[in-house]
Amino acid sequence: MSRGRVLGHLVKADFLTRVRRTSFLLTLGFAVFLGYQTFAGNIVMQLDDYRGVYNSAWVGALMGVVTSTFLTLVGFYIVKGSIQRDETTRVGQILAATPMSKSFYTVAKFLGNFAVLAAMVLVMGVAALCMQLAHSEDRTLHLWTLLSPLLLFALPAMAFVAALAVLFETLPLLRGGVGNVAWFFLWTGLLVAGIGPAATRGGTVTHADDFHDFSGMPGLYGQMRGQLLEVAPQAHESFSLSIGSMKPHKRFLWTGVHWDAVLVAARLTWFGYALAAALLAALFFHRFDPARSFGPAGRSRRLNAVQERAPVVEFAAAKQLAQADPWTMRLTPLPPASGKNRFFAMVAAELRLMLQGHRWWWYAMAGALCVACVAAPLPVSRGGIILAAWIWPLLVWSPMGSRESRYATGSLIFSAPFALQRQLPAVWTAGVLVTLATGGGLLIRLLIAGDGRSVVGFLVAVCFIPSLALALGVLSGGSKFFEALYTVWWYTGAAHHIRGLDFTGTVDASSTPALYLGLTIVLLAACWMRRRTQLAYA
Amino acid sequence: MKLSIENVGKRYGSHTWALRRFSLELKPGVLGLLGPNGAGKTTLMNILATITRATEGQVMWGGADVALEPNAVRAVLGYLPQDFGVYPNLSAQEFLEYLAAVKGLDALPARRRIDQLLNLVNLSDVRGRPLGGYSGGMKQRVGIAQALLNDPQLLIVDEPTAGLDPEERVRFRNLLAELGGERIVILSTHIVSDVEATATEIALIANGALVAHAPPEDLLRRVEGRVWEWVIPSADLNAVKQCYRISNTVRRSDGVHVRVLADEPPKGALPAAPTLEDAYLDSLSVYRAAGVPA
Repeated sequence: MSRGRVLGHLVKADFLTRVRRTSFLLTLGFAVFLGYQTFAGNIVMQLDDYRGVYNSAWVGALMGVVTSTFLTLVGFYIVKGSIQRDETTRVGQILAATPMSKSFYTVAKFLGNFAVLAAMVLVMGVAALCMQLAHSEDRTLHLWTLLSPLLLFALPAMAFVAALAVLFETLPLLRGGVGNVAWFFLWTGLLVAGIGPAATRGGTVTHADDFHDFSGMPGLYGQMRGQLLEVAPQAHESFSLSIGSMKPHKRFLWTGVHWDAVLVAARLTWFGYALAAALLAALFFHRFDPARSFGPAGRSRRLNAVQERAPVVEFAAAKQLAQADPWTMRLTPLPPASGKNRFFAMVAAELRLMLQGHRWWWYAMAGALCVACVAAPLPVSRGGIILAAWIWPLLVWSPMGSRESRYATGSLIFSAPFALQRQLPAVWTAGVLVTLATGGGLLIRLLIAGDGRSVVGFLVAVCFIPSLALALGVLSGGSKFFEALYTVWWYTGAAHHIRGLDFTGTVDASSTPALYLGLTIVLLAACWMRRRTQLAYA
Repeated sequence: MKLSIENVGKRYGSHTWALRRFSLELKPGVLGLLGPNGAGKTTLMNILATITRATEGQVMWGGADVALEPNAVRAVLGYLPQDFGVYPNLSAQEFLEYLAAVKGLDALPARRRIDQLLNLVNLSDVRGRPLGGYSGGMKQRVGIAQALLNDPQLLIVDEPTAGLDPEERVRFRNLLAELGGERIVILSTHIVSDVEATATEIALIANGALVAHAPPEDLLRRVEGRVWEWVIPSADLNAVKQCYRISNTVRRSDGVHVRVLADEPPKGALPAAPTLEDAYLDSLSVYRAAGVPA
């Protein structure tokens, strides 16, 4: 069989595995949602106070940029995990025993990821078509003009994201939750790196910018700006792509992207970057070698491999002892379990489960942040240090609610008496205790300062964060959703103290404890109901 | 102590019945659950372990309807599923302590019990090591220990000896036999010799239905006088396969030793003592011959 056919089969199998899961429908649903938000005017691209007439050129450009910016952020989280899936399902071990090279595998995974993201681009293409026809400002369809921004802005960006997802999965540090958090900041960095140089030159875009522009935005802006200034020389040189209710009041006619050779080459270069990233991933790919597998399981396996050499004799001796009279062994009958009174033991067990397996420096840093909250001036603690203290345990919160499905322990736990009534509240309580402990320094300061309103805000946040983690874990069955959403929320809402989005509740200007208390109740109710349906008997 | 399964059925989707009109009454002892792949064994055990709900019928534990009072059975249940996971960062000791808390066991007796169980499953020496580094057989032994944590009156074990070395397998099946003296133990396995060594009763399932439920001796009696052995040249093996139901073949220097199930002895064959494997194959073929594909 030719290498091309083998590659085709690998990509096909990978694609079909995802397409046949319910989550793929959610993925497409998200693309439809994004398309609808753009159509409804909730995502707006504007220059000064102008937007283009809704013709093929403007709608296509808008959809292209929305896809290459917002959808690339989400797309990464959607496709990351395909190598891990091969490891979990043990298909990887079968593949590893074939003559397939590592680079072949990583390129196949990249193409599989790309196929999924390309399906989302396709949805955005259909949305673009509907949007132009529905708005009726210009009903003449120019298909190339409409779709070329999706093909040349969005698809290369998606290809790069697809390859980065593979690269992240092969790097031990970026494989799990740390990678999910890092992607948000890398994505922000990529956008800034694209826009930054032109911004420093007062909006003048050069061909060189096109080559390090990930999203296509600066190139597009350069051309739009030129066309706008021809009809409105007084217009300010500002460009924005924003979510919200700010709407431009004026319109101008935008005739479409001028695809010169350099711009096309620049966009196609991103396919090259993607291929390079996929090939780079092959260097780090462990080929499903259990001794080199990453994560806590791999770490303990490696540790044990070293330890196992010495105690062989000891172990054999113990075996002999046990076998001396194995059949006469009697288990002590247990007194009847007092059952329901063991809630705090359950909380302690969940706490241990949450906190076990981290390196010493994790605890050191958590302790240092807590102390810093006490020691620093109150405005610094409530405005800055608490943010660090409440992003640090992200990977402790994120497995809440999904640990049972991730480690396949559900059948052991859910066959215990009062599993729903006891285990879920215990997990939540453990999460609350972790949140309280990491931010506890600030609570002490607020109590000393007698700032009752902030104390309430703080306590609501202490309940809200683990509730969000637990609910998203139970609802999604994984930790990725929480890791992505919390990072974005933390950065955009809490770190910038945006009223309504700042869940920390410790800065008066942005604190909305009532809102977050309500959200906490809704999240807990949703999580309880979902878990009820997961169990045969609640 | 009585477990009654009354006309239980389980449907997946709108048409596929994994189990249909299944009835059985169990008292203390070891029930060996035998059947081909996809027969419905795991579905039955999931229903009994309250992991999934029966679509129809009733499961009663000591007079309590499990559908209405699942905690009545959960409180006395030890369950070892066929596929289960562990938390790789926890040691065997910590994992068992965690599950003891989940099962609501009191701390002190639970700790003593864990000590005993770790000793029983030969994991005392490695009790402090993270489970992520355990071999498949060691994880299986942790699974066995957790199933016995709460001193269960109803012990359900699905393929419990999978991954165990022969020595551990023998130890475990002896333990099961011992436990069956005062508990209801349900053992599902493909390894007929495990059932042979432990079961006081056997339930044979095929196609979601109960094919036979009897003590092993009764099943053996059904094939008594119908098991034959003889030695044939290798070249004749295919022809023999066409004519007889073969239960075993062994190649030796003098030819192929063939064991068949037949009402009349093949020419030159000698009668052999029936095994449970013979009885199992015979019951299945009778069931299939009756027109229901197993």
